[in-house]
Amino acid sequence: MPPGLDKLQHIVVLMMENRSFDHMLGSLEGIGGIDDAGAYRNPDVNNNKVVPQALADFQGQLNPDPDHHFPAVDLQIYGGATGEGRTETMDGFVASYYHQQENAQQAQKILYYFPKEKLPVLTTLATDFAVFNRWFASIPGPTICNRAFAHYGTSFGRVDMNPFDVIEPIKSIYTRLVTANPKHKAKVYYYDTSSSSMEVPNLLQNQPDQFGTYDQFLSDCDKNMLPDYSFVEPNYSDHDTDDGEEVANDQHPDHDVLAGEKLIAEVYTHIKGNPQTWSSTALLVVYDEHGGIFDHVPPPKCPNPDSFKSSQIDPGTGQAFQFDRLGVRVPAILVSPWVQKGTVVSRTFDHASIPATVTKFFLGSYPHVSQREQDADVFIEPNDGSGNMANNLLSLNVMRNDCPDFKVRS
Amino acid sequence: MAIVYFDEPKSKVDQNRPANALLLAQVQHLREAEKSLPPKYHSGIFSHAIQTEGEVARYVQSVTEAIHQAHADAAAERVRRALKPKEVIEIAAVADEAAERKQRARRKSSAAKKKGSRKK
Repeated sequence: MPPGLDKLQHIVVLMMENRSFDHMLGSLEGIGGIDDAGAYRNPDVNNNKVVPQALADFQGQLNPDPDHHFPAVDLQIYGGATGEGRTETMDGFVASYYHQQENAQQAQKILYYFPKEKLPVLTTLATDFAVFNRWFASIPGPTICNRAFAHYGTSFGRVDMNPFDVIEPIKSIYTRLVTANPKHKAKVYYYDTSSSSMEVPNLLQNQPDQFGTYDQFLSDCDKNMLPDYSFVEPNYSDHDTDDGEEVANDQHPDHDVLAGEKLIAEVYTHIKGNPQTWSSTALLVVYDEHGGIFDHVPPPKCPNPDSFKSSQIDPGTGQAFQFDRLGVRVPAILVSPWVQKGTVVSRTFDHASIPATVTKFFLGSYPHVSQREQDADVFIEPNDGSGNMANNLLSLNVMRNDCPDFKVRS
Repeated sequence: MAIVYFDEPKSKVDQNRPANALLLAQVQHLREAEKSLPPKYHSGIFSHAIQTEGEVARYVQSVTEAIHQAHADAAAERVRRALKPKEVIEIAAVADEAAERKQRARRKSSAAKKKGSRKK
């Protein structure tokens, strides 16, 4: 067994908010981003062609928050086409943003992306470790149902932001682990009680056993006390704390993208700071959905739809959603000293890959999973001999000692 | 080993920024959660009037801490009940019940024997 898999004891997922792959990583050459901006055109209200430009800014540019509810994403992907046989043209982003305020100038900004120099933390992790260039949101819709896939491998038929019921026998990844074996530990680390968790069904049932704060996460990294599985949530709001005020660092438009860069750097630095933690941890940095922002890659179909279906009303398009296709592509990066520098992974993943990977790695085969989770690829191969070692990303025989460090510019 | 420098965020805290759809959804989810808590844990905040990030944060904190407290209180009560010493009167009552059960069983078996002998 490769030593990286043998050593692996902790999987950490940091899920950020609402940015597409092209928007954040599209400027990196040769990884399936925006290598040829002229090739990706969206018509504006006057039918002029708008092309992506490297003009994205940290804050103040995407206000109002671009619509990313189901009908808007449908327009963004299909350009307004309806009915059987339509194709994913990815040319409805400008039209969708224009509908929100009827300002043609503002609508063009939905195609802006960051030059790599502006996001040194995220782009360095992408080039120094493994970047996934076909990781898609699980649903062409908003946050809550997409985050549900990361926790349960399904959204139980929801395509919106409404509360959902957990339907047995499917359990959250946290409950699966701790009920299978009390030695297993799994936690959601929310930023603080004022930001709290988006995983409210679990919060209500399992606080405090399956929850901790971001400060506890940092302390657990420092002391090599991380649970088997950690899911880290950013700060979703500007708010008061005991020590003053905190700025939101989730990168949700129109929150400051630099605050999110700092958060990602801090998570990485604390994992790397303890040699035992660093050698035994894999960190996945991933975004929950694209937030209405342009990406050029058409989301793929799912070979087997989920057993849960939406109602006919909920999607807002007049048709029930069969969970038979994925959402828009998002940034995803796997960090570990056992990952080969410059790895680009072109297999298809979505957020159901998170519980699929964690379950297979820590529990092996497990019966009660959704169809979508059953079909989802894993980003860390199981270490019980059942994995496909050709896909193993923790493949190095010797741990790297050339991994970067991040520091605030003085 | 390369050192990569990044800039501190320059944004100022703005608690009056209108809450985005995600934060309002979180309020809705926590409102549902709050309904399942006993009234003494309720926040007393009119959550339907929440509009800004600062207001969301205050409500979220209140309900999150209430959920935490409700679980902590339930756990403490569980321990208290488990450790509660049995009082003499309870022990006596339990002893009486056991004696009564034995008597009932004896009566039943002797009645059954009599019935069996009549059949013969």
